[in-house]
Amino acid sequence: MTNSKIGKTILDLRNINKFFGGVRALSDFSMTIEEGEIHCLVGENGSGKSTLIKVASGALKAESGDIYINGNFYKNLHIMDAIKEGIQVIYQDLSLYTNLTIAENIAMNQLIEKNLKLINSRIIHNISKEAINELKINLDLEMVVENLAMGDKQLVAICRALTHDVKLIIMDEPTVALTRNEIELLFKVILSLKEKGISTLFLSHKLSEVFQISEEVTIIRDGLKVGEFKTNELDNDKLIFYMIGKKIEKEKYSYDEDKNKDNVLLEVTNLTKKNNFKNINFKLLAGEIIGITGLLGSGRTELALSIFGLNKPDSGHIFIEGEKVKIDSPQDAIKLGISFFPSDRTIEGLFMKKPVDINLIITVIKENLNKMGLIDFRSIKSRAKEQVEDLNIKIPSLSAQITSLSGGNQQKVALGKWISTNPKIFILDSPTVGVDIGAKYNVYSIIKKLAIEQNMGIIMISDEIREVMENCNKILLMKKGEIIDIVYPNKTSENEIFSKISGTSLSNN
Amino acid sequence: MLKKVLNKNELFLFLIIILLIIILTSFNRSFLTLENWFDMIKNNSGMMILAIGFLVILLSGGIDLSFTSIGIFCAFIATDVLVSKNINNMFLAFAISCGLGILMGAVNAFFISYYKIPPLITTLATYAVYNGGLLVISNNRSFYAAELPLWYKKFGAMNIFTITKPEGDKYGLSIYFLIVISVILFTWFILKYTMLGKGIYAIGGNIESAKRSGFNIVKIQFFIYCYMGFLAGIAAIMETSILQAVVVSGVSVVDLSVIAAVILGGGRLSGGYGKILGTVFGVIILMILNNNLILIGLSSFWNEFVIGFVIIIGVIITSIQTKQKSRGISIIKI
Amino acid sequence: MTIIFILMSALMPKTFFSLYNLQSMAFQISGFGFLVIAQMIAIISGGIDLSIVSIMSVSGISAALIMTKFINESSSSGNVILIVILTILVTLVVSVACGFINGLLIGYVGVPPILATLGTMSLFMGVGVIITGARGIVGFPSGFLKIGTGTVFQIPIPLIILVVMSLLVALILNKTVFGLKLYMLGSNPIASIFTGINNKLMLLGTYMLGGFMTGMSAIILIAQANSAKSGYGSGFLIQSIIAVILGGIDPAGGLGSIAGVIIGILIIQMIQSGFNMMGMNIFWTNIIFGTVLIIVMIINLYLERISFREKKTISK
Repeated sequence: MTNSKIGKTILDLRNINKFFGGVRALSDFSMTIEEGEIHCLVGENGSGKSTLIKVASGALKAESGDIYINGNFYKNLHIMDAIKEGIQVIYQDLSLYTNLTIAENIAMNQLIEKNLKLINSRIIHNISKEAINELKINLDLEMVVENLAMGDKQLVAICRALTHDVKLIIMDEPTVALTRNEIELLFKVILSLKEKGISTLFLSHKLSEVFQISEEVTIIRDGLKVGEFKTNELDNDKLIFYMIGKKIEKEKYSYDEDKNKDNVLLEVTNLTKKNNFKNINFKLLAGEIIGITGLLGSGRTELALSIFGLNKPDSGHIFIEGEKVKIDSPQDAIKLGISFFPSDRTIEGLFMKKPVDINLIITVIKENLNKMGLIDFRSIKSRAKEQVEDLNIKIPSLSAQITSLSGGNQQKVALGKWISTNPKIFILDSPTVGVDIGAKYNVYSIIKKLAIEQNMGIIMISDEIREVMENCNKILLMKKGEIIDIVYPNKTSENEIFSKISGTSLSNN
Repeated sequence: MLKKVLNKNELFLFLIIILLIIILTSFNRSFLTLENWFDMIKNNSGMMILAIGFLVILLSGGIDLSFTSIGIFCAFIATDVLVSKNINNMFLAFAISCGLGILMGAVNAFFISYYKIPPLITTLATYAVYNGGLLVISNNRSFYAAELPLWYKKFGAMNIFTITKPEGDKYGLSIYFLIVISVILFTWFILKYTMLGKGIYAIGGNIESAKRSGFNIVKIQFFIYCYMGFLAGIAAIMETSILQAVVVSGVSVVDLSVIAAVILGGGRLSGGYGKILGTVFGVIILMILNNNLILIGLSSFWNEFVIGFVIIIGVIITSIQTKQKSRGISIIKI
Repeated sequence: MTIIFILMSALMPKTFFSLYNLQSMAFQISGFGFLVIAQMIAIISGGIDLSIVSIMSVSGISAALIMTKFINESSSSGNVILIVILTILVTLVVSVACGFINGLLIGYVGVPPILATLGTMSLFMGVGVIITGARGIVGFPSGFLKIGTGTVFQIPIPLIILVVMSLLVALILNKTVFGLKLYMLGSNPIASIFTGINNKLMLLGTYMLGGFMTGMSAIILIAQANSAKSGYGSGFLIQSIIAVILGGIDPAGGLGSIAGVIIGILIIQMIQSGFNMMGMNIFWTNIIFGTVLIIVMIINLYLERISFREKKTISK
């Protein structure tokens, strides 16, 4: 496919400046990607990562700077130019046609390029067959994409990119929704792409993966390039330091279990639901922060939803403060003092188009009524104001739409929404996803404060092992629906946890 | 192979049709006669054609509420021209009707592609405008049998072949059948074998990707809405020939049996999914119900009720099916 | 956006404001107004109600049946009043029951509102047709007719009822927990569940309330027409949707106020009457509605683009 010259530079960005209105998104940014290189772009949300890849692919035009692709200079890069030069972007949503077959998805862009009017199913078959053979993977070409697992969908997207005589594939956060197996397969594919001389640039938040697969790392912060390193020159702490510009004080969460062992808030016995989880047993004490971690598909979220009334278990019991309860709906759970912070804040957690104050108090609206039972808007505003101050949320105004807030602040509003209900038990599912490191630690201190000052029992579900290590006094490890082990952060390591939940080990730290 | 041809949904519909036939025939033998079926086919050709057009729009993720207005409008203009100029030419009638239909569909497409107004609202608006426009232009005057050019009646009565009953009456398979089959085959060909067809599915599946892939979204949208207008024009003339009248009235209701047929046939309102075979079966089911309740002793007053009942059962089943499908992927899917 | 319409309506000629004209306009919008309220509630909840005219039809027919069966020339006036009250109750019960069925299908079974109400539209209308055999039922007691055609201090009675109800609905929507939850449900049904809102119950309540409003419209309309027929009012469905959208309700759910909708109704009515008076062909009204709808959407589009551009610079 490609005629490889050793040391050839595929993408060369020089001094790129990009403004949005008065805000500078990219500042004098330069970066090169060589042939066959696996390069990772790391940075917090809002650091300019997405802007950069849009500029590199021609989707956005930079105000100044030069772009060289395969040695060719482009003053005004158009999407079609970039595609012709062999640059393909796979966005997080994959841009697949879920209602069409795998073969049709892979071959689609080619068909349009060839300007065909009539369809020949043989052509479609040939194009797609060639692509999946290149990657040596096995897919049923006639299957409709809607029914595929996330990992397979990703592979389909990559195959589609391959049909273009591609030189550089840019992936935006490719591993977010993948299981461990699928991630391993993806990395194998990236390596085989490298063998063919195809470069990969991917954006990632997951530092462990950065170390696992990439050879070069570029770190971006506030639109500036902080540095470009060979991966083996860095370690986790250095990386975080470059990303956010300061050292993070990491404290573990200490808790005296013996002192509190009679104060059982939640007890779960033999909880089972077919295909979700099996024989779950654990206790949650007041003031405890228990972590639950495991790979995607291990049953963590399903378990949490059961406790919140959205996923009725087949058998087993739940006890709240010693009493057996039946939780059939979120309303039941809330009445029992359980709050749940869902993993997808834009869809599940917040009303994006509604104002901040409404989002904050909607859960406790009944406490803000006047004598006639009507809503007292003034008390709503003051209560919301309190919350905003307590949690240090940066907002333009109380009536601003959630969409105008940054990711981290949105997360805080979503938290505040539940904190105001004063729960006894607070379950958080992936509380810092899509939030930059600075804000992450902000959220952690809020959570710890809740446990310490209000004696809340907290369950933190996360797939970032580091997160549960730093915030929990006890961690439940889940694998394939069962709790396989209970560990204590001060007696174990990240590596150990990882190998238990996945059966393999991290290759680098 | 057969599995690909008849996936679960179409098979299910086919069984329903068989069931209905069995039930109705057991009540009244004359249901399962050639005469009855030829009659049904002729009377429902219009609905079938419109349903096919509606399916195409639905596949692209859009909707069209204006097609009834377009139809009557075109039939009126065509008839008006023929009557006032005293021409008795069938082809001219079709030409005017279809041509005008294409133009009116183009108006829909214009607002939907250039101004990005949601199809529901656009076609609601054009429905109102065309309806009102018709009333104004026609001055509320309708055309009735005596005034219509002769060929209307001839055309309505034309058969592909005729059979004579022992009593001497004749009946036959109307030429409308040919028109319907042509429309079905033509549409099927476009959807399955042309890039245009794939483009329609692509837009319905993921419009952002379709843009990025390089599909000419505007062109495709113009095609589907103009096609609907075109088909509405055809159906309108066909209906006029049967009814022997063009009735202009102050109220014009959106033809819901067309929409119901397509939805029953498996077309998803959200776009991207739906098959011609399913739509055909959907139309057949409604066709059977619409015309034959009298055979089981229910007067025609029961028609609307039964149709409503069938639609409700149909959408309940569809909703439950959709819920089941997404159960595997995530727990909460509303 | 609604400001534009206040301006537009101010341009209407002076003869408009004669008492007689205002009165006749008021009579005309009252029945229709309730339908629009019902539609508005459904759309705010994130759905749509195609069955409102059918519900109106079947409840009106029920009312007519009772009145004509139980009242004849020789009935005492006390009896008549009793029957009329009974009639009103029955009408409302029927319409709320229809709304209950809608709410059940949409909230508990999970059928998309447009499809559910498509089905019930035919179902309910069908019931009406079966009962009446496509004929009208005529002859209501004069006391009943007053509801639709009488005036109090020169103000039409139906208008008073409409205004009172509108205020009530506005209160419910803006100031009660139910109303707030309804807006949230319409805005994001998934987040609504996670917040602990009982979506199913809310939707049931929504469509039952809509049914109630439709029942009110039935009472007024049959009182005005002195008959109940199954085909009456079919144009109202489309007009109700247009009125709601004109009034600024976001068809995607979750936004909008009753004030906007009232203005929408007023505009439609003023245009209609205005044309009537100016001697213009009344058939132009539909054309105007459609055109206005499109113009409004286009204006909305431009307004959104402008504000979006501003927002983009803030959040990067």
